[in-house]
Formats: sequence, C-alpha cells, structure tokens
Amino acid sequence: MELDVRGEICPYPMLKAVEAMKKLKGTDTVILFTDHAPCLSTIPPQAGRYGYTFQVEETGQADWTITLKPKEATI
Amino acid sequence: MLASRTVKNFCSFKRNIPRQSMVAGLVLLGALGLATTMAKTDAILAPLWLLAMAAGFTLQRSRFCFASAFRDLFLFGSGQVMKGIIAGLAVSTIGFAIIMYGMVPSPGFEIFPSEAHILPVGLSTIVGGLLFGFGMVLAGGCVSGSLYRMAEGYVASWVTMGGILIGLALLSQTWNWWWEATISQEARLWIPSTFNLGYGGAVLLTLAALLTVFLIVLWWEARSGLFNPDIQDEKGPDDTFQQKLSILWRSIFVRGWSAVVGGSVLGVIGILMYMVHMPLGVTGELARFSNTIMISLHLPPPEALGLSALGGCSALLGAAGLFTHSFAVTVGVIAGSLVGALFANEFKLRFPRSAKRYVQALVGGVIMGYGSGLAIGCTLGAMFSSIPSLSVSGWVFGLSLSGGAFLGVKVIKRLA
Repeated sequence: MELDVRGEICPYPMLKAVEAMKKLKGTDTVILFTDHAPCLSTIPPQAGRYGYTFQVEETGQADWTITLKPKEATI
Repeated sequence: MLASRTVKNFCSFKRNIPRQSMVAGLVLLGALGLATTMAKTDAILAPLWLLAMAAGFTLQRSRFCFASAFRDLFLFGSGQVMKGIIAGLAVSTIGFAIIMYGMVPSPGFEIFPSEAHILPVGLSTIVGGLLFGFGMVLAGGCVSGSLYRMAEGYVASWVTMGGILIGLALLSQTWNWWWEATISQEARLWIPSTFNLGYGGAVLLTLAALLTVFLIVLWWEARSGLFNPDIQDEKGPDDTFQQKLSILWRSIFVRGWSAVVGGSVLGVIGILMYMVHMPLGVTGELARFSNTIMISLHLPPPEALGLSALGGCSALLGAAGLFTHSFAVTVGVIAGSLVGALFANEFKLRFPRSAKRYVQALVGGVIMGYGSGLAIGCTLGAMFSSIPSLSVSGWVFGLSLSGGAFLGVKVIKRLA
C-alpha cells in the first residue's frame, strides 16, 4: 500500500502511517512518501508497536521514502 | 596541461558541492555583512544577531519543536523532545543564576536583575498558557517553531505567522481590559526573594523540579509502552582523514541532531545571549511589528497600561527604528535556520494539499498569538527563558501549556 503524505506536517504523517498499519494488520507493506523530516523520528517507534520493521531512504531533496514491512514476512 | 587539469578539478569540486550549500554560504556572508552594518547602529546588535542565528541554526538542526514536545506526550507517549527542553533548562538555570548573581548579589524584595524574564503570575499566565498550548498544537508549531519552519519553506508556517500577528493585534487592543481585570493585581514571584531561598536554594529547587519532571516523563513513556528503536547510524568508511571529516560534516550539517543535544546547545546560547544583553525571546519584536501594521491601518492600539514595567518580551515595545535588539534576535532566528536548512539541502517550498490545513494554521496562529501576548512571551520568552530566571511564572505557564496541548490533541485527532 502506498501512502503519499507530502505536504503534511506532524503529527499527520505518523497518524496516517499508524492508521494504515492498524488497517493492514501485517498483510501488506506500507510505502510512505514524505517531505517532512521530523516524521523520520516519529514513525519508526510506531512501526515496532504494530509489528512492522522500518527502512528510511532519502530519495531526493527534502524527500524521503519510509518502507514499513510486516515482521513475519521478513523471516 | 596543468591549467586545464586545475580547471577540471575545480569544476568537479563545484559539482560535488550541492547548490543549496553555495546559497547557504552566500546567506552567511550577507548575514555577516548585516552584522557589521547593525554594529554601526549599536555595537551590541552584532553579537545578539549572530547568537540568534546560532539559535535558529540549532532549532533547525535538531528540529526542536516545543509544540511536539507537549503534543507527543499526549498523542503517543513520547518524551524525546521534552527531555531536550529539560536538558536545556537545567543548563540555562545554572548560567542564568551566575549572571543574575553578578547583577543582584543579595536578592531582596522587588529588586530584580535587569532583563530577567520574571513575569506576573496569575490568571493571565494560566489563560495565556492554555490558549498558547491549544493554538500551537492546532497549528503544528509554536512561535519559534513557525519562525524556523518559515525559513525551511513551509508555506503553512507563513500562514501561522500571519495568524500570530493577528492574535497579538487582538491582544494589544484588549490588553487594558486584562490589565484592569487581573494583571495589575498579579505579583511577579521570584524564587530567590519571594521564598527567601537565595540563589543556592532557588537553583537547587529548580533543578529538583526539573529532575521530577524528567522522572515523570520517563514513567509516562514506560506506561504508554513506547518502543524506541535505534535509528540506524550511517555506516560509511571512515578510514581516511577526508572520510572522517565528511562524517563530521554530515553529523553537524546534514543529519538531524538529537533533541537533548539541541536543547543543551540552545541552553548555552541562551546564557551567552543573556551575558551579552538579554535572554532568548521573540514575541516582543512580533508584537512591535503587529503594532506597526495596526498603526499603518489607522487602527492604533490604545496605550498599554503597565506593560512597559513588566520586563521579559514586553520591555522593547517602545523601541524605535529598524535595527532594535528584538529585531536582531527574531530575524536572526529566521536567518540562522535558513542557513541550516540550505546546508542540509532541505530547503523546499512545501504547500499543504488540503484547505483544512491552512485553516488550522491560521486559527491556531491567532489563538497562540493572543495567548503569547497575554502571557508576555511564547515557549521561549515565557518558559525557556523564564524558568532559568528562577521565576515562578515559567512553571505556571509551562503547566498551563500542557493543559492547552492536551485539549489541542483531542481536536487535531479529529482533523486527520
């Protein structure tokens, strides 16, 4: 599932990521696009809470992709 | 042959430097030029301007957000930023005490060190704090947060700043009502003299209170079951001198700093600013700016009763001219943050995609602006510079902020 939250600032990128992880319950990966640096440190703590792993990638100037993968799928 | 190689080397050197870093260098040069111009008006302006730039740079680098410090506690039990604020306050408290001791060695009744942020305590502090806390959460940033995000290219923060100016204007039109109703009867409580504790006792009491808040934050985090993962560090080769230098450069200018580092550095900058002249605060200049706009719109605010004697962010309202102390501090924060954002290659115009966010930014700004006028300061002036001034007002304002932020969180959850 892709989630484009560019233009949104805290806390909405985090709230939307949590909402997606809650809805998917580990059945799918969440790929989140953001241009808001602070959420690079607010989303990872939530990933662990809902059984997801996270990976942050800088994709451009003030542009990041956060990939949230269900833990089971990585084993 | 040699010349062509030098040119080629130079070109590849130029290509390796991001364009934003070059702009950052230009801004820095311009800022230094402005510092020398300001020094001609008043010598003290140059160090104030440079320290304010350092503060803006620090805010940007550590993404130091007072709004998130309060909001995230209630939203998902994270105290990361709050711990940064506590660290900064502890550092400042010790430095401020030494500076104030130099001015007023034996604290007595109604004698306050000059420029200390010892503000009236009462209903105005509580209402101001509640409004400010609610507004900053709704807008997604406090006054200083909006200042540094303006420089990062967040268009919503420009809207919020407009709201803050409107809120400050509404407050100065209604100040005299608040003055008659409550502020004129409110006392400025200074821990060293009011509680007869002297500097030693007041500093110990303040540090003990900060430790207590820190422990409460830890307990709160544990209770909410927050999982703090290690954000992976960059793993790159660091064998050669050049690689080591590049890692050092990146950790200062590119990767964000932790909140505790940011808060502590901000605390040190606050001490240096007070040593030069006055603690950190940005509301005074914004209020002056808002008054100037009202006067040009032929809606001058009535003369504010009692305000000039209250200190803190109110003291500079009467100053005239462009290059005032508060101009250097407020605009310096924006300039420093711009330099930080450019070096990190993070400057970008960012437009919210829904109209709802613009409304939030504006309404939150108005509420926050009104609250900051009433409490005579924002999270910087009325709290971050007030608690280290050993003033009771900083604590009451901080507590009221928490209440306002709690209510704000209830509202913003529905606006997702």
